Amino acid sequence: MDNRTEVPYGTLDLMVLKTLAGMGPLHGYGIARRIEQVSEGSLALNQGTVYPALLRLEQRGWISSEWGVSENHRRARFYAITRAGRKQLAAEEATWSRTVRILSRLLEEPS
Amino acid sequence: MTPLRVLAARLRSLFRRRDDDARLRAEIEAHLESLAAEHKRRGLPSAEARLAALREFGGVSQIREIHREQRGLPFLDALAQDLRYAFRQLRANPGFAAAAIFTLALGIGANTAIFRVLDAVVFRSLPVPHPEQLVLVGAYRGDAGIGFSYPLYREIAARQQVVAGLIAMCDLPIESAALASGQPIDGVTARMVSGGYFPTLGVAPRIGRALADSDDQPSAAPVAVISDRFRRRAFGDAGAADVLGQTIRINGAPFTVVGVAPPGFFGESVGSAPDLWVPFAMAPRVKAGLMISPAAKMISVMARLRPDVSPARAQTALGLLYTQLRELAAQTFLGREPCRVEFASGSQGLGGLRAHFSEPLWILMAIAGLVLLMACCNLANLLMARATARTHEIGVRLALGAGRARLLRQLLTESLLLTAIGTALGLALAAWGSRQLIALAAAGSHWQIPIDFGWRVLSFTAGAAAAAVCLFGLAPAIAATRLEVNAALQGAGRSAGGSRGHAAFTKALVVAQIAVSLVLVAGASLLVRSFWNLLHQDFGYRPDGLLLVSLPLDAPSLALAKNPGQVQLLSERLAGLPGVRSVALDGMGPLGSWQFSGRISLPDRPSRDDDNALLVNVSPGYFETLAIPIAAGRSIAAGDGGGSAQVAVLSETAARRLFGRDNPIGRRISASPSFDSLHAVEVVGVARDVRPANPRQAFGFLVYLPQSGKIPITSIEIRTAGDPGILAAPVRHTLREVAGLRTASVRPLWETLRSSVGQDRLMAVLSGAFGVLALLLASVGLYGVIAYGAERRTQEIGIRSALGATRAQISGFLMREMGTLLLCGLVLGGVATLILARWIRAMLFGLAPHDPAMLLLAAAALSLVALIAGYLPARRAARLDPMRALRQE
Repeated sequence: MDNRTEVPYGTLDLMVLKTLAGMGPLHGYGIARRIEQVSEGSLALNQGTVYPALLRLEQRGWISSEWGVSENHRRARFYAITRAGRKQLAAEEATWSRTVRILSRLLEEPS
Repeated sequence: MTPLRVLAARLRSLFRRRDDDARLRAEIEAHLESLAAEHKRRGLPSAEARLAALREFGGVSQIREIHREQRGLPFLDALAQDLRYAFRQLRANPGFAAAAIFTLALGIGANTAIFRVLDAVVFRSLPVPHPEQLVLVGAYRGDAGIGFSYPLYREIAARQQVVAGLIAMCDLPIESAALASGQPIDGVTARMVSGGYFPTLGVAPRIGRALADSDDQPSAAPVAVISDRFRRRAFGDAGAADVLGQTIRINGAPFTVVGVAPPGFFGESVGSAPDLWVPFAMAPRVKAGLMISPAAKMISVMARLRPDVSPARAQTALGLLYTQLRELAAQTFLGREPCRVEFASGSQGLGGLRAHFSEPLWILMAIAGLVLLMACCNLANLLMARATARTHEIGVRLALGAGRARLLRQLLTESLLLTAIGTALGLALAAWGSRQLIALAAAGSHWQIPIDFGWRVLSFTAGAAAAAVCLFGLAPAIAATRLEVNAALQGAGRSAGGSRGHAAFTKALVVAQIAVSLVLVAGASLLVRSFWNLLHQDFGYRPDGLLLVSLPLDAPSLALAKNPGQVQLLSERLAGLPGVRSVALDGMGPLGSWQFSGRISLPDRPSRDDDNALLVNVSPGYFETLAIPIAAGRSIAAGDGGGSAQVAVLSETAARRLFGRDNPIGRRISASPSFDSLHAVEVVGVARDVRPANPRQAFGFLVYLPQSGKIPITSIEIRTAGDPGILAAPVRHTLREVAGLRTASVRPLWETLRSSVGQDRLMAVLSGAFGVLALLLASVGLYGVIAYGAERRTQEIGIRSALGATRAQISGFLMREMGTLLLCGLVLGGVATLILARWIRAMLFGLAPHDPAMLLLAAAALSLVALIAGYLPARRAARLDPMRALRQE
């Protein structure tokens, strides 16, 4: 059995935003690699799923995209976080850490 | 904000589908290459590196599908897809599509056409501001409406303070209308109105000014407001403003046009559209002084309510005024019994037309609704059969993972598409149909019905279309998608588990269709028979070959009556025209439009309430000309008038009511409430009963008297040898030349009779047409169901005939099945007919709504059509080659 966890529902968008905020403009492949690197192989990410996530974020105006040239000299689409995206990221980070705090307190409590 | 932005982005991408697809493809390809390159760096051979990249990426087409769904509007995408699919389906079955669209167009078109007229006649408000404030004002004594006389109206209007305006109106009989140049204008209709008419209705003229109170004074200069339609008709292309100040002569008196009413304004009475409006005070100048006399109660009164006075209070206050002014009211021959005033909603104006046509229209509406129901049954059947034929296809699609909801939507889209096309055609049909309907309804009358496609009509049509889709589309679609996938795939469309349910549903539909069409056919035969009865009844006289001259009730006709020499001359000249057999004149005769009633008393008995006789003055030869047989005694002869002993002829009804079984000949009667021997007349004969010009009326209580100078001559009857129509022109000429009568209506009696049964003809023609349509729909439905049943049981039929069943036996067992359906439908329909036909009782003449002959006739016609429709497919099934039938499985 694979002991890697699935991407928790609704967190991929946050991961993508955080990656773009930290790394600057990246293409889809770069984003997927980065998320895998950070998770150190403990996340079962179908790399393709970043594309619907990117579309979703772009539709909301949180990221923007343009064509560029990748490190191996291929045409690639580069995504960058927008001002609205940073605001959204800050808000979601706060929500997320609050959720995590609550959950860990609940789980630590001896039952 | 964000949801809006997302929607905008999704909408944008609807138009960039191809670009977006290309972009995603490029991105994925670049991604895969990068992945593969990395794997290669780690030492995998290039083919395996590519596979590893694909594995790591996840399902490419899945991602693409998710992306696509998220990018655009999946609902719209699916709809477009469904529509394309539906179009392909319809194109693949043009016969089915054409039949379905035609049926729907007919059904929805007929309903819309009738509703459009119903809307104009029953629902529409007057085209004036705040029509809901208008009320019709009626005066009653007990339950009887007693109306207002014009002087009484004026008194009340001058004193009342409870309504914002009280207006009166009345038709002005037009004898002649002409331009200043003397050029006559034909067919002019005019209305006399009180001075406050236009301001109270809130109608501002298009140009010029409206009538004012100052115009409604006997001393005022005669002015008129004309309708916009009449402006175009009478003055043609003259600029609208040039019309002002022009003179129109009405019944000889000159009127100055001071204003033109706005286009679309037809007055306060739905169904009539006057050409001009003149003030009441002008009545004496246009020979209508009688209408505003204290004795006449021919005017209608309307009021606009004040927002601050409740209708109940206004009603009471006006009633009080009426009572206070009863001195004037008393002159309307009412006596001094208490009267009250009642309001009725006036937002839709006066309802002469409504009273006349709303019931027939409602019935027609119901008939058309039933026809649409039948059309829906047929379509449901057709779709059901098609759904069965597509069982296999649908099974495959369900097996491949299509959602049932998605499939249901797809099948419904097809029905929607059919309905949309059918409705569009139906609207075109309705535009034509309602004009025909009005032409048919208004034949021989002056009704003007303003129809249009207002929001009410369009929402009705949309509602009918939506109901139709639900009725015929939903059940087959649900049935089609509720099948067992395995069974559907194995059965390959034949004898699948779902089919049994389909068959039951289909049979129920056919039974319903037969029942509904029996109701329609029986209803139609009742109405057609009633119409036939009206025209073929015993009128008491012979209507064929009679030409009827109706004279207006005015000075010339009275002058003629007072001048026996001229009467003599006129009769002789008319009788001398080629083709004329005989001529009779009468005053207030039963065939004319004017009647005069009085009470009859006997020497030993004062008059009773029901002795209200119609008193008719007739010339010698009246009975002979009309071919009214004399039952006893003699008819009125030359010399009976004038100085000799006064005589009378009674109708049989009058004789029976006055004298019972006694012989009336030689008895004396007097036309007054108590016997007056001075003016008594002697009964010299009894004539057979005649029906008045309206063929629905009962035989009259008639007392014929010899002509005297006191009663105007109101009609002339001319018996002709051939077609009476061709004599109209020479008769008109003679009337003008000999007696100076210019305004007579001269037409064959049959025309008058027919126009007085216009409503019956309307009902007979339309219900007959719908009845035939119902027969057609029922036969198509039956044919379909038997053909489908036969096809479904091809195998069974094959086995039966292989085992030795003859063709007759096979078609017999198929027909038996149909016979059962037919019988069920007939019983249901028969019961429904007996219940529903009571609704048209009031329209039937000379037969009862449950007339067994008509019901049997309808059932027989329906059975015959059904048997033919069922026999054709049954025979074809029986001729099936058993080998082929068996192999087909």
